[in-house]
Amino acid sequence: MAHLRETTDKALKLLRTLPRVQIGNLRPNPNSKQNDKRGRAQHGGDKHGAGNKGSGQRQNFMRLGYETGNQPFYLRFPYEPYYKGHHLKRQYPPISLLQLQVLIDTNRIDISQPIDISTLCNSGLLKLKPAEMEYGFQLTDDGLDNFQAKINIEVQHASEAVIAAIEKNGGVIRTAYYDPRSLHMLANPKKWFEKGVPIPSRMLPPQDAVDYYTNPKNRGYLANPEAISQDRLVLAQKYGYQLPKIEEDSAYEMLTTTKDPRQVFYGLEPGWLINIVDKTIIKRKQ
Amino acid sequence: MLNNILKTSRQVLYPVARTFSRSSNQCNVVTEAPAAVSAPPAAGSPLILPQDYTDCLPVSRSTARQAWIENTDAVAERKVGLIELHPDIFAAQPRVDIIQENVEWQRKYRYVSMAHTKTRAEVRGGGRKPWPQKGGGRARHGSLRSPMLKGGGVVHGPRSPTTHFYMLPFYKRVLGLTSTLSVKLAQDDLHIIESVDIPTGDAEFLKDLIAERNWGPSVLIVDEDHMFPANICQASDDLGYVNLMPTFGLNVYSMLKHDTLVLTVAAVKHLEQRLLYQLNRNDAASKGGKFKLDQV
Repeated sequence: MAHLRETTDKALKLLRTLPRVQIGNLRPNPNSKQNDKRGRAQHGGDKHGAGNKGSGQRQNFMRLGYETGNQPFYLRFPYEPYYKGHHLKRQYPPISLLQLQVLIDTNRIDISQPIDISTLCNSGLLKLKPAEMEYGFQLTDDGLDNFQAKINIEVQHASEAVIAAIEKNGGVIRTAYYDPRSLHMLANPKKWFEKGVPIPSRMLPPQDAVDYYTNPKNRGYLANPEAISQDRLVLAQKYGYQLPKIEEDSAYEMLTTTKDPRQVFYGLEPGWLINIVDKTIIKRKQ
Repeated sequence: MLNNILKTSRQVLYPVARTFSRSSNQCNVVTEAPAAVSAPPAAGSPLILPQDYTDCLPVSRSTARQAWIENTDAVAERKVGLIELHPDIFAAQPRVDIIQENVEWQRKYRYVSMAHTKTRAEVRGGGRKPWPQKGGGRARHGSLRSPMLKGGGVVHGPRSPTTHFYMLPFYKRVLGLTSTLSVKLAQDDLHIIESVDIPTGDAEFLKDLIAERNWGPSVLIVDEDHMFPANICQASDDLGYVNLMPTFGLNVYSMLKHDTLVLTVAAVKHLEQRLLYQLNRNDAASKGGKFKLDQV
């Protein structure tokens, strides 16, 4: 930024000696305007930049993949299984620990509350597009050594090193599955509440995701809690750090806050209706 | 050498501005600390308004600008106080190209071209074949209103109404405002007054005040409130070159159309608050994208 300040100062100093900036002496940056006139003769005339005859002059745009008579690459091999089912695969856009730390340091995330998809999306800097098969965020290990925050975070995918980095600081991490409709609600909660529809319950994970989310090593939300606390100790020994005791933490309440597997928002149960005009919650009759 | 030429050209073009910026005591912009400047203290306690940087930290605090707050209760200039201006608004990068884009946009978005020509179908007459196809020794024609004939229709002529409406990207509009304010301050064309209260509704008072302080010739006076006091309305009413404007109407074109921009303290604070909000909001990406009519 320093060089920016310098140029700004220089420009402002220069302006003090220049004539007054007025409507009459403004002009666009040189070459910023495209000339839509067709020049004649020495002004770009003759062939008008299109070359001599042929497809250059005739807008003969060949179709994608066409190799002017060769057997095209996409037809040369009878079977290409690499992208089979690609359009159905779940995507997990990455956020790094460094990004997360920056978001926390710049006050875009409040770490006194549990962090989930809606917290990340409400920071305004991250976006989730459930319509493009994005099923939540994965936390990656960039900036792992500089991660300092003690947080309670819920993501959709995390590696072992990331789990260790968060638990080393006395934090809690959990991986959880959300179905596309729940993701849609979490990606922009305000917009969804404006519809005035009761909150539906979250779906259980599909068959191929059950293994991941029931595994205590991944801190899956469907794993046995006792197996998770067992694995927290195992991981601490593997990475060689002293596991901070959450039970003695002053933020114990916040750190142990979890969602029900059927719950979408923290503190809001399925079936409740949010009226954001009157700022009231309409609950079911008991 | 270049500087000399520029200086002389400015002397020719803007003698008022030049004499104004020459005398350092008269200069509106004070870049040194307030204690270092030997300013005559105002009657009563001076109005010292430091900037609050808690919410919006500037890119660099060292470039913070300070400006005198002037009185409006008399023709003679008296410094009422000192205001610290936020550098992100009043010492921003002077993007003259963005200023130009703003001016062009303000001219064009409201312009509807009424130039109109008639096609061969719209020109009166021409329904009859003027002469037989063969045997006359003349070129074949089907209509006397063909565009190749005199008095015929026009091909690809202007058609009315042609709108030139477009929207400049939101942050280009924001940068246009900060750039223009920074340029105005850098060129000593921005002055800050205590309030828009003047003692009389006489136009002569306003003329004298402007002449005394080397403002103008044309002056734009901006206050936060859109209801201006009766005196200044009355005094500026007959002066075509003195105009009043509330802050919500402040725009690049009007600032440049007038030689001098005069802001009240309340207007400065309001402008800073609104522009800093736009420069620091975290959902700025939502302001991008295509312009839609009737959007909230």
